[in-house]
Amino acid sequence: MEQIGKAGQIKQAEQCGRKILVVDDHREILKMVETILKESGYTQIFLAACAAQAMKCFLSEKPDLIILDIMLPDEDGFSLFQRIREKADVPILFLSAKDEDEDRLFGLGLGADDYITKPFLPEELALRIGVILKRAYSIPEEQREKERHFFLGEREILPERAVVKYRDQENTLTAKELMLLEKLYQNRGRIVTFDTLCNAVWGDSYYGYENTLMVHIRHLREKIEEDPSHPRWILTARGLGYRLVKE
Amino acid sequence: MKSLFRIIRRYSLTVGMIILVILAVNGCVLLGMGYYIAEEEGTQFPSAWMSMRTMEEIGKELQETDGTFLLSKEGMETLEKSVFSWAMALNPGGNVVWEWQLPSTFSRQYSLQEVAVFSRWYLNGYPVKIWTNDDTVLVFGCDPDKVIRYNVIVTSSLFQNLPLFIKAVILINLLVAAVLILGFGYRFHQTMKPIVQGIESLAAQKPVALKEKGLAGELAGKLNETSEFLLTQSQALARRDSARTEWIAGVSHDIRTPLSLIVGHSDRLSRDASLSLENRGLAASIRRQSLLIRQLIADLNLASKLAYQAQPLKKKECLPAALLRSCVSDIYNEEIDRGSGAGYEFDILVREEMEQIQVRADEGLLLRALRNLLGNSVRHNPEGCHVTVSLTAQEEFIWFSVRDTGHGIPRIVVQNLENPDSEVHIMGLRLVDQIAKAHGGRLDFEERAEGSYDARFCISFPS
Repeated sequence: MEQIGKAGQIKQAEQCGRKILVVDDHREILKMVETILKESGYTQIFLAACAAQAMKCFLSEKPDLIILDIMLPDEDGFSLFQRIREKADVPILFLSAKDEDEDRLFGLGLGADDYITKPFLPEELALRIGVILKRAYSIPEEQREKERHFFLGEREILPERAVVKYRDQENTLTAKELMLLEKLYQNRGRIVTFDTLCNAVWGDSYYGYENTLMVHIRHLREKIEEDPSHPRWILTARGLGYRLVKE
Repeated sequence: MKSLFRIIRRYSLTVGMIILVILAVNGCVLLGMGYYIAEEEGTQFPSAWMSMRTMEEIGKELQETDGTFLLSKEGMETLEKSVFSWAMALNPGGNVVWEWQLPSTFSRQYSLQEVAVFSRWYLNGYPVKIWTNDDTVLVFGCDPDKVIRYNVIVTSSLFQNLPLFIKAVILINLLVAAVLILGFGYRFHQTMKPIVQGIESLAAQKPVALKEKGLAGELAGKLNETSEFLLTQSQALARRDSARTEWIAGVSHDIRTPLSLIVGHSDRLSRDASLSLENRGLAASIRRQSLLIRQLIADLNLASKLAYQAQPLKKKECLPAALLRSCVSDIYNEEIDRGSGAGYEFDILVREEMEQIQVRADEGLLLRALRNLLGNSVRHNPEGCHVTVSLTAQEEFIWFSVRDTGHGIPRIVVQNLENPDSEVHIMGLRLVDQIAKAHGGRLDFEERAEGSYDARFCISFPS
């Protein structure tokens, strides 16, 4: 655990050294976002109040991530996005006061990595930036595979081999059990509805699989729980679905 | 167009009825007149058989004694009461053998030729009636001012075929009436057709441009004017609605930037260790309230768009049962994310047969409506409560019901839902109502024993 913690810290330091360009025509917002980013540990932050400045900064500094407002005095944020993307495939997050579904869908449709509407919680912005950077830069594939390992108490789950390791014993998971466990793990700590789980395993036409789902969950509990009849990890949310407990 | 056919049918029936009524009235008037003449004026204007009876009585009372004719007293009374102006008796030789009030200018001797002429006609301007009595011929003169005499001679074939003729006349009359009714009806139909089409177009809010010619030209003109007026009005309304929606969208957009600063700064202050705990609490409160304002302006924006149909529904097939679970688990998950132990417990009642029901709906909006109802139960019962959410099908609707063991919705909110000037904060419920209406349903309240309400809404589910 300690090792993983260290690796995480190294990675964190790497991420914090990333260059972030913030583009917004509102000075105070620029200042605030800068403060939020600094407080989150990012050190190389560049600010631009218009599209021209943004383009100039983009060309000179080659930022690793851009936070982009849509309503800019000299150019539409969407078209600036396209101009930037023509030159480099840098991650871009839209931060806009436009809350229309169409704008959000249009932005994401263009290929933006995220879309946050104002007003936003500072913590949310920092978290989303972290996720984007992690996704974009910390990536060798095997490393990511390794990252997917996780522990449930003393049991280690190795998703790439579909195996549960416990005191040198290995127990194999079926494909469906693995799919369910991964879905629960992606939302660890949160309730995942029957519908989401069935959909993940059986696709759109999942109706009628709820009983089968219960059977799979029972088998899964037998493999990962100390005492399957009093589960500690996979809890039932009555009438809703299941929840994988966070340590 | 169906209504036009109905109008024409009723018009034809009415005309037919009018004809029948006129005929009936005519018949009654004729009968009435006949009765009046027979009963009231019978003495003055005797019918053929009545005058014949008078003449017969007089004939009986006229007695011959030794070549002299005398009318008895009763005969004289009858004669005086009768309408005759004068009377005389002729013997076979044509000589007057008895007379009564015979004008002196009249001849007292008549040839066979003269008798033949006046017996069916007039004598010296007086209409004449004849009665033969034994050997004598009684001649009675009527007052020419009161009585007119004419002879009718018909052929026997005409007389025999009279019933047939009457039938034929009635038939021809009916045929002519039917042809006229249909003819005029058709013309009326043709005239009214464009007018009816115009009115139908108006009802369907389509522009109307009719030819202003012919019988209904003036009507068509008025319809064209009305159409133009309505078009201008609806354009003005649409302009106003869209201006209002755009204005609200603009304000909600512009307010977001300053609100971002309030949220950001207050968040920072709430975590600033150099501030007192109390001041940090105040900053956290500012942040919470600002986020509430964010929700409010989003609600306001959506409500105005729904009200003016500026929000296109993104309908697709979705499972209401899954939506319900997703909404409830989102609320649980938010509680989990916040790390606050939820004092809320949600019970979901979905029967087996409701599980597989699919509806075409805007999933995002339905989630929003559900979220607003569930959010009310959570927000207004900070001490925690038990919430029961159920999904049921009734006739052509699917109902989402939310009941909680908390305070419920106050009566004042239910009463003011339709009142736009109300100061009660009910934007969330109004939005539920609008979303339900946009899906062909409605918002409804169920009263509890203690006087507060539970809310439920339905969406249409065409079976």
